[in-house]
This record gives sequence, C-alpha cells and structure tokens, in this order.
Amino acid sequence: MEYLIHLAILSSIFVILSLSLNLVLGYTGLISLAHASFFGIGAYTVAILTTGFHFNFFLALLIGMLISAVVSLGIGVVLSKFRGDFVAIGSVGFCIIVWSIFLNAEVLTRGPLGIPGIPRPEFFGFTFSTNYSFLLLTLLFAFLVYLVVRYVAHSSFGRVLKGIREDEDALQVFGYRALHYKLAVFVLGAVLASVAGALFASYIKFIDPSTFTLNDSIFFLSAVILGGLASNKGAVIGAVVLILLPEALRFVGFPPDIAAQTRQAIYGLMLVVLMLYRPQGLSGEYKL
Amino acid sequence: MTPNMDIFPQLVANSIVSGAIYAVLVLGFNLIFSTAKFIDIGYGVMVVVGGYAGFYFMKMLGLSLWVGVPLAVLLSGVLSLAVYKVVYAPLRARKASSSVLLIASLGVLTFIQAIVAILFTSQFQTLANLLPGNPTLEFFGGTMTAIQLVTLAIAVVLSLALFLLLRFSMFGKALIAVSDDEEVAKMVGINTEKNIGFVFFIAGCIGGLAGLLIGFDTGIEPTMGLLWLLSVISASIVGGIGNLYGGIAGAFLVAFIENFGIWKVSGEWRLAIAFTVLLLFLIWKPKGLFPR
Repeated sequence: MEYLIHLAILSSIFVILSLSLNLVLGYTGLISLAHASFFGIGAYTVAILTTGFHFNFFLALLIGMLISAVVSLGIGVVLSKFRGDFVAIGSVGFCIIVWSIFLNAEVLTRGPLGIPGIPRPEFFGFTFSTNYSFLLLTLLFAFLVYLVVRYVAHSSFGRVLKGIREDEDALQVFGYRALHYKLAVFVLGAVLASVAGALFASYIKFIDPSTFTLNDSIFFLSAVILGGLASNKGAVIGAVVLILLPEALRFVGFPPDIAAQTRQAIYGLMLVVLMLYRPQGLSGEYKL
Repeated sequence: MTPNMDIFPQLVANSIVSGAIYAVLVLGFNLIFSTAKFIDIGYGVMVVVGGYAGFYFMKMLGLSLWVGVPLAVLLSGVLSLAVYKVVYAPLRARKASSSVLLIASLGVLTFIQAIVAILFTSQFQTLANLLPGNPTLEFFGGTMTAIQLVTLAIAVVLSLALFLLLRFSMFGKALIAVSDDEEVAKMVGINTEKNIGFVFFIAGCIGGLAGLLIGFDTGIEPTMGLLWLLSVISASIVGGIGNLYGGIAGAFLVAFIENFGIWKVSGEWRLAIAFTVLLLFLIWKPKGLFPR
C-alpha cells in the first residue's frame, strides 16, 4: 500500500510537469527541452531555503515560482532569437547550462553531493509528514494546476496560442504580438514546473543534479507526446503511463544501471514509433 | 609572465584540434540540414557508434588499425543510412513537418545511446593505447600529439574532398539542386531519395570517423554524442545555417570560445561558459557570420 501511495505521489508530480509542458509544446507548438531546468529551480529553491534558512515550505515554493518566472523570461527572450526548430536546440543548451550550475555552484547546491534533509511542508502547525497526507497535498496541487491549464487553454488567450501554433504569420497580421504570447506561456509553463520541483524535493527529502538533466526533459517530452499534444487528459495519461511503465522493469530484476538505460531506450524507441505511426499521441488533437 | 600566460599556446593548440573535429562534423551536419531540411539530432549518436565500433573491433576482437578503423567508419555510415531508410524516409514521404523529424531524431539518439550504454556500460573508454606510439611534438610553446596532427590532416583532406565532390561531380550538382528545391529537382529527373540516402551514409561515415579520432585522442562515452552535436550545431549557426563553408569558420570560432572560456576559471564550467558566449553571440548576430 505504501508503495502504491509512493507511485501515486510521483505520478501526480509528473502530471503537473506534463500538464505544464503541454501548454508550451502542445498548445503553442514550441519544442522546449528546458523543462527539467525549471523543475530543478523549484526543487533547489525549496531545498536551499528550507534546510539552510528554515523557510516555510509554502513561502519557499512561492519564491521558487518567482525565480523560475524570472529565469524563464530571460531564457525565453534569448530563445525567441532562434529561427524555427533551432529553438529546440537552444533549449537543450539552456538545460545543460542550468544543470551545470546545479552541479558546480557548490556554495549553493553542494554540487554532486546533493542536499539532504529537506523537510516536509508545514501548514499552521500541521506537518504533511505521512505519505498519505502528502499524497492529498500533491493531488490538490495537481488538480489546481489542471484547473489553471484548462482555464488558460479554453480562454481567448489559449485560442491565440493555438493560432500561433497553426500559423504565426497570419496571427501577426491580425495584430497579435505572437512573441508576447509565446513568452507568457513559456513563463507560465516554467512556473508550474517549479511547483512540481518543490513538491518533489519535499517528498524525496534529498535532491542532487542527476534528477534535472536533459534526459529528464526528454522524459517529460515523451510523456506529453505519448498522451497527445494539446490534450490535458492526454498529458495526465502520458505521465502516469510513463511513471508506471519502468516500475514493471523493476520486477524483471535488471541491475540498476541496465534498468535506467533500458528505460531510456524505451523512451527513445517510443518517440520514433509515435512519430512514425501516431504523431498525435494517444488522445491528441494536433500533430506537430 | 604569469603562470596563466604559459598555457596560451597550449590553448591555441587545443582549440585548433577540437576546431578541426568540429569542422568535419559541421560538414556532415550541414549536408543533412541543407538536403533533408531538418535538424538531425540522431547525427550526434554516429560519433558514439563510430567510437564504440572501433572499441569493439580493435580492443575486444583485437583487429588491427587498418581493418578496425575502416570497419567502424563503414558501420556508422551504414547505420546512418539504415536509420534514414527506416525512420526519416517514410516521414519525409508523407510530408511530415520538420518538428516531427526533429523529435524522431531525438528518439533515435536516445535509443541508440542507451543501447550502446547497455552493451558497453556507460564507462569512459579510451582507444589511445591502440596506437603504436603517440609522440608529442612541440610548436611555439604548445604541444600536439601525433594523433592530433593526423586529426588536423584528416579534417583538411576531408573538407577538400567534399568540396571537390560537391563542386564537380554529378552527385554534388544533384545535391545542390535538392537543397534549392526538392520538387523541381525531382521533376528534372534527379533521384532525390537515393541522393539524400547517400548524404546520410556520408554523414554517418564522417560522424563515425570523428568518434574514432576523439577516442584515439581522449576517450569515448555513450553520452558524448549530444554534447559534440551541440557544439557542432552552434558552429553551424555561428557560420550561418546551411552555409557549408561558413560552418568551418564557425567550427574554429566555437572551438576557440570553448577552450579560452575556461582560461581563467575551472574546467567544470566549460559547457556553461561556451553556451553562454554562443547565446550572447546569437543575440548580437542571429543569422550567423555568413548568412546564406
């Protein structure tokens, strides 16, 4: 039962990530591989502020969202200089830059040693110390994020995003500043990803740079594409499937290194097969 | 002289060597990009395949250099062609967007990289001890090993050969036609499929050869493909995307930025500094030095 709760918590954290990436990738059509960076910024902010400065989790969460917003705005402005698909390559570059900051800024992040002893959230004297209560908290956050994403997607703002995806030039002719919309959705996606990071750090209690690599970005991308672009239901399904799938590998009994590589191989193969036979994913409305 | 000044000639030497490898790889990348019209991330993994094929043939099977190197290069070329036939050609045939091809190629890289790591573990391996001898030569206070000079020579010869091939052969003319307008090229009777397939074969061979040279010089890791590819794509953007020869200038510029970026700070920051400088460069000149 404890194990099932563990999987449910992880799934809901990854649901937040894939929902937020879906805004950027699915609704707006921007291929971003920098999502792991914002996940990491949320996680590291909470880890540093709660262990080093005894901040309350929720305050640290808000600060993490703010930092993520500022950083993603900067990254977004630079990425907007790239043409076409080179945005994706630029985002890979940023993912590596941010990861190498996590790894090398040892004063702040303790580098490869990681940060242990991250406390569970506390709210007016109540601590979410049991996994069961933590599950309720993550489910609440996942639900809130779902509402936000759904609201954005169905608003007039969301319709402009879809317009950008379909034909950016045409939209510009109608007088929309596509750049502003793209930046706004990129920042929103990053802020929501940092929420997932904060929850992750507080749940696992220990973080190190190895959780925020390019491979993790590829994993989030796979989840969104598997579920289906521009489908929130799809993003939820994709994240849950991809969390549960490797658990099956654990029971096969591979050694840890081989299991991790097998997982990567599966994600890679899945991307290729999806592109070849079902580019819209399981329940997407839109093909890249 | 401060101790830091002493390493100046060495940094120049290092920049020239990595610039040479980038230059060779950029040629392959630009060939694919200008004909098949998408960013082939899977190209990066051919470096890994070449390096590990060499490791397998020469270290595990004990084949000689003269057999092992050509075999490894050929294997990378054939694998690259196979990936094209199985994945990219069908996607292109149904007019998939360049984003779909990009994501498929990301999948190719992830998949092959993981398979290599499963077969050979993710440990760092070197091919250096396969060389009969690797004397060190000194130039103006910097040193270069024999294999680094060979790398340099190969880069020059390969660039010249590709230049001649593209300029004077029917194949080269066909490629220029394909990169200008694929539909029209088809109409005048060019077998575009076959030509692009050949481009993937050549690019795969180039990638594999680069992987071997890297292995002889320093060493190989399954994850190195994407990092080399990022520098190569940066070089290509700096040189002006699709400009075959601008890419060579870009390659050396990127190599100098990467090597000199760590002049005053420790080596771990190399990647971060290199990319930051490149991004600043792109803000300044978004279309590169020599826009096509």
